[in-house]
Amino acid sequence: MASSIDPKLVEELAAIVGVEGIVSRASELKVYECDGWTVEKSAPDILLLPRSVEQVSRVLRALDRKGIAFVPRGAGTGLSGGALPLNAPVMICTSRMNKILTIDYANRRVEVESGAVNLHVTNAVKAKGFFYAPDPSSQMACTIGGNIAENSGGPHTLKYGVTTNHVLGVELVLPDGEVVELGGAVEERCGYDLVGAVVGSEGTYGVVTRATLRLMREPEGHRTFLATFPDVESATRAVSRIIASGIVPGAIEMMDKLILRAVDDAFHVGFDQAAGAVLIIELDGMEVGFAECSSRVIEMARAAGAKDVKLARDEAERQLLWKARKRAFGAVGRLAPNYCTQDGVVPRTRLPDILRVISQVSERYQLSIGNVFHAGDGNLHPIILYDEREAGQVERALGAGRDILKACVEMGGSLTGEHGIGAEKIGEMPLMFSPDDLAAMMELRHVFDPKERANPGKIIPRPGACVEVAAPRRQVPI
Amino acid sequence: MSEHPASAHRDVTDYELLFDCVHCGLCAEACPTYVATRSEMDSPRGRIYLMKALAEGRMDLDADAARHLDLCLGCRGCESACPSGVKYGRLIEAARVFVECEYRRAGFDRFRRAAVSVVFPYPARLRALLMPVRILDWLGLRKVVRTALPVAAREWLDLLPRHGTNSTEANWPAPGAIADDAPAVIVHHGCVAQVLAKSENANSERLLAAAGYRVVKIPSTKCCGALDLHAGNGERAREFARANVLAISKLKPDAIISAASGCSTAIAEYREILKDDTLAPEAEMLASKVKDLSSLLLERPLQFSARFDCVVTYHDACHLAHGLGVREAPRVLLRSVPGLKLVEMENSDLCCGSAGSYNLTEPKMARELARRKADSIAATGAQYVVLANPGCEFQIAAELRRRGSSIRVMHLADFFALAMTRGAKQNR
Repeated sequence: MASSIDPKLVEELAAIVGVEGIVSRASELKVYECDGWTVEKSAPDILLLPRSVEQVSRVLRALDRKGIAFVPRGAGTGLSGGALPLNAPVMICTSRMNKILTIDYANRRVEVESGAVNLHVTNAVKAKGFFYAPDPSSQMACTIGGNIAENSGGPHTLKYGVTTNHVLGVELVLPDGEVVELGGAVEERCGYDLVGAVVGSEGTYGVVTRATLRLMREPEGHRTFLATFPDVESATRAVSRIIASGIVPGAIEMMDKLILRAVDDAFHVGFDQAAGAVLIIELDGMEVGFAECSSRVIEMARAAGAKDVKLARDEAERQLLWKARKRAFGAVGRLAPNYCTQDGVVPRTRLPDILRVISQVSERYQLSIGNVFHAGDGNLHPIILYDEREAGQVERALGAGRDILKACVEMGGSLTGEHGIGAEKIGEMPLMFSPDDLAAMMELRHVFDPKERANPGKIIPRPGACVEVAAPRRQVPI
Repeated sequence: MSEHPASAHRDVTDYELLFDCVHCGLCAEACPTYVATRSEMDSPRGRIYLMKALAEGRMDLDADAARHLDLCLGCRGCESACPSGVKYGRLIEAARVFVECEYRRAGFDRFRRAAVSVVFPYPARLRALLMPVRILDWLGLRKVVRTALPVAAREWLDLLPRHGTNSTEANWPAPGAIADDAPAVIVHHGCVAQVLAKSENANSERLLAAAGYRVVKIPSTKCCGALDLHAGNGERAREFARANVLAISKLKPDAIISAASGCSTAIAEYREILKDDTLAPEAEMLASKVKDLSSLLLERPLQFSARFDCVVTYHDACHLAHGLGVREAPRVLLRSVPGLKLVEMENSDLCCGSAGSYNLTEPKMARELARRKADSIAATGAQYVVLANPGCEFQIAAELRRRGSSIRVMHLADFFALAMTRGAKQNR
């Protein structure tokens, strides 16, 4: 299928990355036609698997000469179609650039190639009592490069912040092949925060090849509670009370009835199946403060209506709770053949309102919607279940997602907490931004990518085309 | 889009089961071939995607698609990682039947696979074929002859253990009396294992007897069918399954184990393989009796009469960890040996590349995985690698031998036989 690309260029690219590093046959490219967002599909014409920044730079220089667009990809676990090739014939996958380069405990930082797997970073430093804080649910597979592209979060970002708070510097290959270093090893810097601009740019500035990350000291201890509530309202009430009291837990996560069923099937946690919702509340920090904080949290949860608040007895129980929470998206596969996960954000005091909207949307579109989310920071993940084999269900699922996002924005929230806009939510960007806002963003993008060859068709809708873009453009039936 | 809802055009695999996969990608890093190539085609998600595209007629079974399906070890590491409960083992086993029917491999590859299929499940044939090697070993000429062989044959030869290296037979005390109402356990001797892993079988039985189980023997053990199941020969796998069910179910065992975890998993799958057969009830009964050696030994603890001061690392055989879900029991058992220090290796549950006959049919990837495994083992500083599958034992031992390493690779049964009999010898 390399037909759209000049065979001479294919040869040149093969010479750069080696025959093992180029994939150009249709049956192999097929598996790259979507990431974790499976509603839209489009395979690249060429896939490159470079092994070094030099290779990435030479590849981008060669593509620049021919004016060919490209899409970067890490592990392909993204949920917004960030790695979906839209008018980008070449895909550049960083999965083979996965080395952890240097670990510097004294300065609390680690330098990694962008294809390094998120969890592997923590695994490399945990023996010394450190960890890398952003912990998206896909952390066992997703790459640091992908995390940087989407500004990923995770349960523990309530206390520790998202990816942008943990990236000190990046090495970025611009679309013309130039390699630039942004940020650096120290935490206090002057001038414009260009690293901040790159984090969350969803691959539209070029290809990030290396990153310097902040390491955090593992807290002395954890207290992880499982609080069971009769309904989601009382659970959200508990969240607001805890945060307003001044206690900042490491994480507060909610799962509703539907999700509890799937998760319990998968991991046999023993959740109360009559419960309307549960909260996983994790306090972390110094042992001395736990006794008081724990009793206050328990008290507040009960006052909000919790039927039961249990403390995880040991590390094994704690890990089981987290395994259940982190793999909840996947476990939903037990309930329906397909799902799409929305990623809206609302001020946490509006959680009861948005959950009501979600249940109305569920009725209106006749689709089951489960809720598993970072309650502490108001980052929702309604999971809309559908079956691609039933006529019209894909459209209904997309419509339901749009209605929920619209409500989030109306409540003063945001379209995405951590999954990125990607191809999925590009049509909703005008809900949040005026044409002037979007034009300003485009100008910033042009600083890095003046010819719009890096991941075209993502984040910023083209003027006049913004409303209908969210309708699927699938080239093949799923 | 919805005018073309997804539907199956071709019988590639159990189409409905494909929809358990939600394409989240969490399986990737649990897949040894993905870890080695880091390309999506060699990941479980990628292979499921290929199966789905093949089933829906969106692509044809060409050399590339066959290649990436062939490269799967069938280790089921992805099943342990999958939150969605995808039954990957069943998907790939069915897809392999499809590949066998629809795809003609190149000459040498075809020959290699046919040779395994004709010889391995039949102990008499394997024994006959190995006679020249036995003679070479007896004459001490294996090393000399090895250098004259082509690389492919050399790697096959390296995998063969030397005869009798792990035997502890002479040191066993006479077994004590066993109660008539003690649970009856069958050790399935396997096909390749009854030729190449005799001590593993014998020591399993001795350990069980020492722990107070009544060991019941199958008069003549046939291949369990795992090799065929993993090679896409569904028809013969069913025949073997039937033969085993007929031979074993009448012995009414309380538990059945195998020194090869792949065989145990295959027997546990008889309920699926024979679900439409007249033997379905017996198959179900047999499948429900599948256990593993370490769990049985934990139920009736062994007595060690001497310390065994050593450093051990434990390798998780795939079908034991991912197939039967047994991870803790062997570790608890190892820690119960006085003086033993257990050190965990990195990625202990990532396949070593043995994977049944995979190291014979896919030597390149198998070697790569063996190298990684040997690196992880060496980093622990252990003197012994203990594992519960002869295939892993041969594969890892071959790689460590090539490196001139002194680390000993031992099957759990052989290791515990050694731990038990050391004491016995000293007491005498």
